[in-house]
Amino acid sequence: MSAGSSTAFHAPLYHDLMAGLDANERHIVLDLGTTSTAMLALLGQSRCRVEIADLAHFGGVDRLNSTEPGPALAGAVESLLPNRLSDDAIDLVFCWDLPNYLTLNALSALMVAIGHRARPGALAHALISYADRDMKEYPGHFVPTPDGELINHSAASKTIAAPRYSPEDLGKNMDRFVIDRARLLSNGMQEFLFQLES
Amino acid sequence: MFERTKKDDNAIESQDANRNESDKTFGSLRSKVTGRSGDVAVIGSSIQINGDLRGDEDLRIEGDVSGTVKLKNSALTIGKEGRVKADVYARSIAVDGETKGDLYATERITVHVNARVQGNIIAPKVSIEEGAHFKGSIEMDPAAVEKALGKPAAIGIDKPVADTKAAPKTPKTPAKVARTNLNPPAGTA
Repeated sequence: MSAGSSTAFHAPLYHDLMAGLDANERHIVLDLGTTSTAMLALLGQSRCRVEIADLAHFGGVDRLNSTEPGPALAGAVESLLPNRLSDDAIDLVFCWDLPNYLTLNALSALMVAIGHRARPGALAHALISYADRDMKEYPGHFVPTPDGELINHSAASKTIAAPRYSPEDLGKNMDRFVIDRARLLSNGMQEFLFQLES
Repeated sequence: MFERTKKDDNAIESQDANRNESDKTFGSLRSKVTGRSGDVAVIGSSIQINGDLRGDEDLRIEGDVSGTVKLKNSALTIGKEGRVKADVYARSIAVDGETKGDLYATERITVHVNARVQGNIIAPKVSIEEGAHFKGSIEMDPAAVEKALGKPAAIGIDKPVADTKAAPKTPKTPAKVARTNLNPPAGTA
């Protein structure tokens, strides 16, 4: 199965993450992808504030990849993340497959900025192209299904070479987010859960 | 319907270059700026408004509006041609066009397919259709929504969620997300 397939797939770490949301506790969630009604409905079952960046649609990916590392890139990241309603620290980050579309410099700058907004112990979830050499031309639009699986609604038809970042690549470029767990999925993607060190 | 709150600061610009001096009073300007569609006042697609927009009746915006929009007891629709760069306060807000700014509604905010919204959304009920593009925050904590809307905490409001018709199942008794639930070390399964 292609990593970009629109077939629903089981992502156990995502499932565990959603299962772990306490309906009675407040959670601050940062979603780097495109929102969906289903995802909002799911998160709305607990006392969440959802911050949505939609980096793919609002030109974020291209801008991050084309900006020189350093202050300019840090500034670009800040401008692309949502303006904050309060100083509440982020508990959970959904990266989806966006890391595949970022250079390691851009990914590093993004995670540094997110790390500054997140609480120690915050979790970040990501889907990394691993088995397949190619991936869809644009980041996916991952929507939860009623059965607790995920489906990629991306309309992209062309494919590009996947960077196939290794755990070592990610370990060195996710700033203080360290790999907590990983799973190889049936669609050839590697599912990662990162945790922010204190 | 509307009142201009700062005479000198607020400019209402129309593409009607032939507007005479008497037209610049707001009462007469209203008939040029807005039309009516049923019971809803309409700001047409050729109209640009800069400043504070206030009123007490339902409004549809198809033009460009910058500044602040306050229709606290009324419904606002930002149509497909509408472009609003403002913080918006209304009873309910529906977006088909583009907005930049925070949206506050005491009842509901709906972002329709193909709409582009950048800003924070604060409302008891929020619906974002597939295909809409949104960048910002959505507050789903009832207490935080009430605080942001200036309501007393005792007032009951519906749980602030997206439309739940297609809500996926969630576990009945979710456990707290904590490090103890996540078992390092990393590895592949």
